[in-house]
Amino acid sequence: MEGKKVLMTGNQAIARGFYEAGGLVAASYPGSPTVEILESIKREYRQIYSEFSVNEKVALEVAMGASFAGARALASMKHVGVNIAMDPLMTFTQTRTSGGFILVSGDDPGMASSQNEQDNRIIGKFANMAVLDPCDSQEAKNFTKLSLELSETYGMPVMLRITSRLCHSRGIVELSDREEKPAEGFKPDKTNFNMIPPNTFKKQFEMKERLESLSKAAMDLGINRLEKGNGSEVLIITSGLVYNNLMELNLDIPVLKLGLVYPLPLDAIRSLASNYKRLIVIEEMSPFIENELKINGIECEGKSYFSFTGELGIEEIEAGLLRAGIFEESRYSGKMGEDKSVPPRLPLFCAGCPHRPVFDILKKSGRKVVGDIGCYSLAGIFPIEVLDTIISMGSSLGIIKGMAKAMKLSGKSEPLVAVIGDSTFFHSGMTGMVNMLHQIDPEDNMTIIILNNGTTAMTGGQHTASSGSYESEDDMHVDLEVLLRAMGLENVRSVDQFKYKEAKEAIDEEIKRPGLSIVIATRPCALRFKIREPHFYVDPNVCIACRNCIRTNCPPLRMKKYEGIEKLKSSINPEMCVGCSVCSQVCPVGAIKRADGEVE
Amino acid sequence: MKAYNIMLAGVGGQGLVLTTSIICSAAFYAGYDVKSNDVIGLSQRGGKVWGSVRLGEKIHSPNIPPGDADFLVALEPLEADRWKVSLKKEGILIVNTGEIAPAHVAAEKAEYPADIIERLSASYRLYAIDAASEGKKLGSAKVANLFLIGVLARHIDIKKEAWHAAIRENVPAGFIEMNIRAFDIGYEMHKQNH
Repeated sequence: MEGKKVLMTGNQAIARGFYEAGGLVAASYPGSPTVEILESIKREYRQIYSEFSVNEKVALEVAMGASFAGARALASMKHVGVNIAMDPLMTFTQTRTSGGFILVSGDDPGMASSQNEQDNRIIGKFANMAVLDPCDSQEAKNFTKLSLELSETYGMPVMLRITSRLCHSRGIVELSDREEKPAEGFKPDKTNFNMIPPNTFKKQFEMKERLESLSKAAMDLGINRLEKGNGSEVLIITSGLVYNNLMELNLDIPVLKLGLVYPLPLDAIRSLASNYKRLIVIEEMSPFIENELKINGIECEGKSYFSFTGELGIEEIEAGLLRAGIFEESRYSGKMGEDKSVPPRLPLFCAGCPHRPVFDILKKSGRKVVGDIGCYSLAGIFPIEVLDTIISMGSSLGIIKGMAKAMKLSGKSEPLVAVIGDSTFFHSGMTGMVNMLHQIDPEDNMTIIILNNGTTAMTGGQHTASSGSYESEDDMHVDLEVLLRAMGLENVRSVDQFKYKEAKEAIDEEIKRPGLSIVIATRPCALRFKIREPHFYVDPNVCIACRNCIRTNCPPLRMKKYEGIEKLKSSINPEMCVGCSVCSQVCPVGAIKRADGEVE
Repeated sequence: MKAYNIMLAGVGGQGLVLTTSIICSAAFYAGYDVKSNDVIGLSQRGGKVWGSVRLGEKIHSPNIPPGDADFLVALEPLEADRWKVSLKKEGILIVNTGEIAPAHVAAEKAEYPADIIERLSASYRLYAIDAASEGKKLGSAKVANLFLIGVLARHIDIKKEAWHAAIRENVPAGFIEMNIRAFDIGYEMHKQNH
């Protein structure tokens, strides 16, 4: 294996790096863009204990425990996942780590698949951790290994910050063999692991000292390097994929390429800066490096030329350098990669998606609906547009309660609905649900619908605590109805949402009923569980063109021109239809029928 | 060594990641430096997704700046229309003609343009293939993208064997031969240029 070259995505390269470094325990909660790290570990490197934990906090704690026991450990999550894990992180970081610990944060500049754009380099600094920022797959692997070494040398957890573009970008990676790093077992040291005062007092100094000594050594790590160019006018400072985008412009300007973005090699940069008239920092999102330099008295420019939001592609970097007066001619200005006049194409629920009938019913109810994070967040966009709030994982339960209380106090009570998926419920909805037992007035009318599809669907179908209900080989079989009753909740009922009429009656009834009701929608994810029944077809002679079926927004459905019929009538693409029957059930005239026995 | 910028565009669920991966593998076997964006867009079915592959002597970034693509492989006509501006003037467009209506069209809030292929073939070198129908002739519409890769392969300095090896590495074992047949048919289609 040593020296062999292969193609890998950034995510796969991180998994490989962890394997080569003798990593023993890895944990995560699925979230784009970093899902594939743990999937790759699970698939390729069976020597490693790995798990998708119930949430990021638990994942970080599992990895932390492994590190306490002397193992090299990894926790990977999307940027907002780190928020969930922040409580243990901020105290864990005070301890002197035993086994190397790496936290992989998948940041998402441009928000390709996220609810916000937070820059987790700031969290790294806040948590007194070193932050490494790779620029391609090879560096993703190398930096993973280096992070674990630094973690052990300096006794601190290390953040590997990677951006979404790099997570899903392939490049050539040279492999090495695995170096075994057996864990030495947990060696109790109460002053180090019991983080209560007075033990924590000296930890403040230790955290400061470890960062200062790393800052001094930072130029010797081989990952911060000066690339020579012509002139003494300008020095560009950059890191990550932005560096590689910059390289595509073929400029003859010296570049300080940083691999370690916190702590910065301040002394080295300060003495370097004296050789140049201007320092220009190019970085995505916040002016993190720029601010670090400025607060340490190193004059530089950055965000005055480059956007504080979105990605900095080759053309955006060119535009910024043009604004900075670095060069005069533009190759890309005014050009677009995408023709914005073409009709949009928004994501939508899959054919056979069990969320479809639920949102069709809720749309007809006209009620205000508090949403949550998952595939069903798509019910907030065109054409369903049922969800009125989408904030963060598990937040729907607290929000609906606060909304109900406030509206009641203002004399504006009305029935409210919240929806939450099973994975989100186990992740951080359970606490909100227990909180429902406290001070609920029988007149607070709240209906909570748990969309139990048995999987974390949005991120590609990872298991949840209720996957065992649909797949016997899964070892987690939490029965939601039993769980809710054990919590002490009373109005709990399950519905089969593919029995449209019954489901509609049940949901309408619960919305009407004062007090708290919980409805569990029980159909599994059509994609994850590969559900395919005989398809349906439209009889255009019966169809009255009312478009009730079209309004369910199912991919195979479209109005079309039939020969000899004047009006457009509905139609179903038989190859896309998986036979869920929802369209036929919302059809008022029975024009949609099943083509039995014709499954392809 | 030549350099190529390949844009890919399609609809979530059409197999863009696999298509990207096959092109990357073939280039890698042929000794090129390679970088790709596997897929950009919400990781979800039905939305617009796009990606890129760049190959050459030394590739820094996986990104293709606007107007710098040599090829646009579009798995759907509307997506070809959307991303056509990513092409160089002399760029080549390879399109699967099977239409997938976006939500705005299905909801009758937008028209699906009727003349995409005609319009695009007036401005670009264009190959149009009803790839799903061709695939069904071989046994499965799932091999559709391989016809497009076959057409692309003709224009890139990589031996056919490397493409075949890339297909073997990337597709499920039971479907290798069908995928290779689809690729070979695309590879021979170069004479049917519009």
